[in-house]
Amino acid sequence: MAAQNGTTRRSALKLMGILGATGLVAPHLLGKPAFAADKAAPSGRIIVGISQEVTVLNPLMVKIEVDDAVHFSVFDALFRVMPDGTIVPNLAAEVPTQDNGGISADGLEWRVKLRDDVKWHDGAPFTAEDVKYTLELIVNPNFRSWRTIGHSLVKDITVVSPTEITWKMERPFAPYMSFLTETFMVPKHILEAEADPNTAAFNQNPIGTGAFKFQNRVAGDLVSLVANTDYHGEGPYIEQLVFKYIPDGTVLYTQFKSGDIDLLGRQYITPDNYEEASKLPGRVVTLVPSSSVECIYLNNERPQFKELAVREAIYAAIDKSSIIDALYYGLPESVETFMPRTSYYNKADLPKHEFNLDHARKLLDDAGWVPGADGIRVKDGVRLAFKNSTTSGNQLREQLQQFMQQTLREIGVEMTIENLPAAVIWGEFWTQSQFDSVVVGITFLIGADPDVTNRFHSTAIAAQGGRGSNNSQFKNARVDELLEQGSRTFDPEARKAIYDEVQDIIRAELPFLPLFSDNSARGWKAGIEGVEHNGNTRSESWHAAAWKWVG
Amino acid sequence: MTTLAASSSGRSRWWQNRAVRKFMRHRLALVGMVMITALTLACIVGPWLLPYDSLHIDLRARFAPPLTGQHYLGTDPLGRDIAARLLEAGRISLLVGFAAMLLSTLIGAVIGVVAGYRGGWIGATLMRLVDAFLAFPSIFLVLALAALLKPSPTMITVIIAVTSWMEVARIVEAEVRSLREREFVLAGRMLGLSGAHIMFREILPNVIGPIIVAATLTVARAILLEAYVSFLGYGIQPPLPSWGNMLNGAQQYLDKAPWLAIIPGLTITIAVTSFNFIGDGLRDALDVRNDRM
Amino acid sequence: MLVFLLNRLWQSIILLVIVSIIGFLVLNLMPGGPLAQFTLDPGMTQADIERLSEQMGLNRPLPVQYADWAWRMLQGDWGTSYRDGAPVLEVIRRHLFATLLLMGSSTVIAIALGTWIGIRGATHQYSGFDYAATVGAMIALSIPTFWFGLIGIYVFSLELGWVPAGNMYTIGKESALNYLHHLILPSIVLSLVNVATWSRYMRSATLDVISQDFIKTARAKGVPERRVLRKHVVGNALLPMITLAGMHLPSILGGALVTETVFTWPGMGRLFLDSLGYSDYPVVMGLLMFSAILTLLGNLIADIVVAMVDPRIRLG
Repeated sequence: MAAQNGTTRRSALKLMGILGATGLVAPHLLGKPAFAADKAAPSGRIIVGISQEVTVLNPLMVKIEVDDAVHFSVFDALFRVMPDGTIVPNLAAEVPTQDNGGISADGLEWRVKLRDDVKWHDGAPFTAEDVKYTLELIVNPNFRSWRTIGHSLVKDITVVSPTEITWKMERPFAPYMSFLTETFMVPKHILEAEADPNTAAFNQNPIGTGAFKFQNRVAGDLVSLVANTDYHGEGPYIEQLVFKYIPDGTVLYTQFKSGDIDLLGRQYITPDNYEEASKLPGRVVTLVPSSSVECIYLNNERPQFKELAVREAIYAAIDKSSIIDALYYGLPESVETFMPRTSYYNKADLPKHEFNLDHARKLLDDAGWVPGADGIRVKDGVRLAFKNSTTSGNQLREQLQQFMQQTLREIGVEMTIENLPAAVIWGEFWTQSQFDSVVVGITFLIGADPDVTNRFHSTAIAAQGGRGSNNSQFKNARVDELLEQGSRTFDPEARKAIYDEVQDIIRAELPFLPLFSDNSARGWKAGIEGVEHNGNTRSESWHAAAWKWVG
Repeated sequence: MTTLAASSSGRSRWWQNRAVRKFMRHRLALVGMVMITALTLACIVGPWLLPYDSLHIDLRARFAPPLTGQHYLGTDPLGRDIAARLLEAGRISLLVGFAAMLLSTLIGAVIGVVAGYRGGWIGATLMRLVDAFLAFPSIFLVLALAALLKPSPTMITVIIAVTSWMEVARIVEAEVRSLREREFVLAGRMLGLSGAHIMFREILPNVIGPIIVAATLTVARAILLEAYVSFLGYGIQPPLPSWGNMLNGAQQYLDKAPWLAIIPGLTITIAVTSFNFIGDGLRDALDVRNDRM
Repeated sequence: MLVFLLNRLWQSIILLVIVSIIGFLVLNLMPGGPLAQFTLDPGMTQADIERLSEQMGLNRPLPVQYADWAWRMLQGDWGTSYRDGAPVLEVIRRHLFATLLLMGSSTVIAIALGTWIGIRGATHQYSGFDYAATVGAMIALSIPTFWFGLIGIYVFSLELGWVPAGNMYTIGKESALNYLHHLILPSIVLSLVNVATWSRYMRSATLDVISQDFIKTARAKGVPERRVLRKHVVGNALLPMITLAGMHLPSILGGALVTETVFTWPGMGRLFLDSLGYSDYPVVMGLLMFSAILTLLGNLIADIVVAMVDPRIRLG
């Protein structure tokens, strides 16, 4: 959500609270009627530079962040989440709420009405059968699908008519509405004919309902899309949309400067280039708040970290402002919580971090950690030494590590750096909590929903037989209780109270050390209009349909 | 090669002297020798003479260009003195280079001698193994192994050694095969000496020339390999400097701080060139046939 | 001849098996794996990861996985990429052009420049030129390729602005000239080592030929020096170079890998590093086998060509 829209967002959410609904029933903001009349022929081309290669084109298969750029453009979900967090219909005709009867009072029965004017790129009409096929494919045990959270609770999917579908949930699950904004619909009539959806020809040549049709892919180089002139919503205004893969940050920026690319995608502008970039003629460069939080993840089962005093002392010994100002050129903002700054659920008045080495030393002294012969503190035979890891080759994080290492040494804590390649560190090393500590940027929320059961519930510890991603092995009975309550609650205000308390506890317990949240520097050519940041999605191209060239 | 075999029976000193004289006449080899000695000395002594510690971070002094105050070679993105880091890094890079050379020469020589002397299916199998390793792009093995083993100077050394012994093995195998039926070997066998004794006591000293040459070039190669692996971030871990990891990140700051890339790269080139010069001189001095570069 | 060929073929197959086993083992013993890239996704749970591991057969014992891979391989099925779901051969084919373009152009430079320097060095032995070429070649062999690329980018792209800093072409301006413009710097960087090697070999090959009797005879008969060079020396010296070209295939491939990283060139080297980074096992294995086959083929062809050109060498 864009920060400047604070007031509108707040009032909108109040409204949501009054309605007791999951989403705001928005008018057909993106609907065809309003725009159909003045729809000019799309023209021009926009080249988006991205630093990771687009991999998976089937939007339901397990995929990485950068793939979203293509999926949001080629496909549509039932709903769309707007920058301010409101949910509006996309393929659906309206957003079901408890108020309008779309969701039953107990939250178990869902009824979704669909648009009747949507066509697949091959001309076939989009119907409720496609929705049913999509939701069933996601939980098909033989299909390598992406997230199944929420979808696995859906049962008894019934096609009432081509424009109406109903299903039941195993238990009330408020986050599902938000998940559906990222669940892209795939065409039943094409995929059904394929023997194996994992290797379908469709996966190389996708057909959606989105504003752009897939044109081609040049491996290791680019993915090219062309305008879908029959699009049911706003736009598209441009004729061709190209995602160009440029693996090196310097080259990416150089090409943005030289004008070879029109809009910067993921990796965006590195902090060291921001100042120069903001003065480039003919380029629009803005800072947008990132929803991911850069943090030091601690393994709470390690004897060194079991004691709160140690975690507090290490936190107090991190010179956040020097890190932010010098290493990151002052761009990021210090944070105290996992909840994105732009979220309605963000708790603003949490205790502020203070860099204070004396305080840190005192905390450790009081807790009985005494410096040994080598200057490193010891208590009950445990040396206050730990390893810190991150993805090898990440320059900025390596600088941060070395800087931290120096300050920690001053309070008698030894940190050694042991970085690993991406495919290694984020494997079992991460999921099975084999690390001491890692520097990691985490997006805690799934879509815009504040539910963090997956990260902080005690049953989500994979290293202890759990099935989630509670990699810091954090255990707190009260947090468990609150998280369970939160996922059953649909009313935003009631949920706010719940997640405020979760944030209070996590800030006090410090299972991980929050450092900062980035303000990423986005840029595009001055002639492009309609680019809007949406922190509730993972892609700068979440609504490329609205992009256009002017002048 | 023939000269060596002939001189084998009487291990007199004269050939040594002749080789030394020949080597000394080789101007490039001398230049290489002088450069590498100077570099090594600088790396050993230098860090004590400089006013800065290689690990000391000073964020106020980041990106100082060369000749700023007492930062003769400038500072890096954390404000650490590059001169201090360069010399400290030299210790590690040269040590890794040497150690990797010793290890890979050892592996290569043993496999080469055994394969060449035994011949038959043992020899064939060992040489196929050599071919198999040669058929890999060595960077694949290095990167995969670096991910497999936790990176530390020791591990990097092992990894480089494991991926660069094949050349030595090939050379030694060829030499040994040609010596296998020579009189002194046959004599040894008649005397009932054990295979191991003949291989390592009788034959090995005769192929020491080519081994030394190959070893010198392996040091050069090992330094290059370490640099590339560390450049990609898989090698020596921070804050420990190595010539390779000093370059890691230099690409990002190429525009604003080109010295970050120029200085370590130049040092690597000088070191590797020196070893190649020395190798060339040794090849001439020891009369090793010039069948590889 | 036939016996020789069969023998070589048999040896090559054994070699491929060894290569595949080593590659497979090293790759799979690496901790982490292809699913690591999904674990930071906020909605991907441990349950999802385990489900995918089961679906992709990653939780089977290694020998079973290898046998499965090898069996498919024998039937011509190289597997499909974990990353984009395309068949491995297709993935390789898509990246082949870029690498061939780079390798081709740098080889042309290397052969042209290397041959000239080598022959000139040999015919003007111990001249200033020869000496400079010798020293130059040794220095060239000592420069880290990736660093040379970086310096090239700094000087010619960032400072002088003559050539682009990376990529194969500019979108929207694709023309032969545009490709060429992007090709200049990387192919020069890649050819550096090859020019050095090639010129050294060419020099010693030429020296060998020059000292032979038939050249002396030709000279004695009063054949002009240029003609001697062109007709006899170059032809005969080039012969061993054919073998060399075959043997150097893997090193050129390795060099291409490094060069492609620095210049963000969309070729096989880039693909290899990316695939290794994602633990895309089928593609990495495919590339390994591909380069091993290419290497063996290069050696074989070199042997055969030499045998056909020079009847003095008998095969077997």
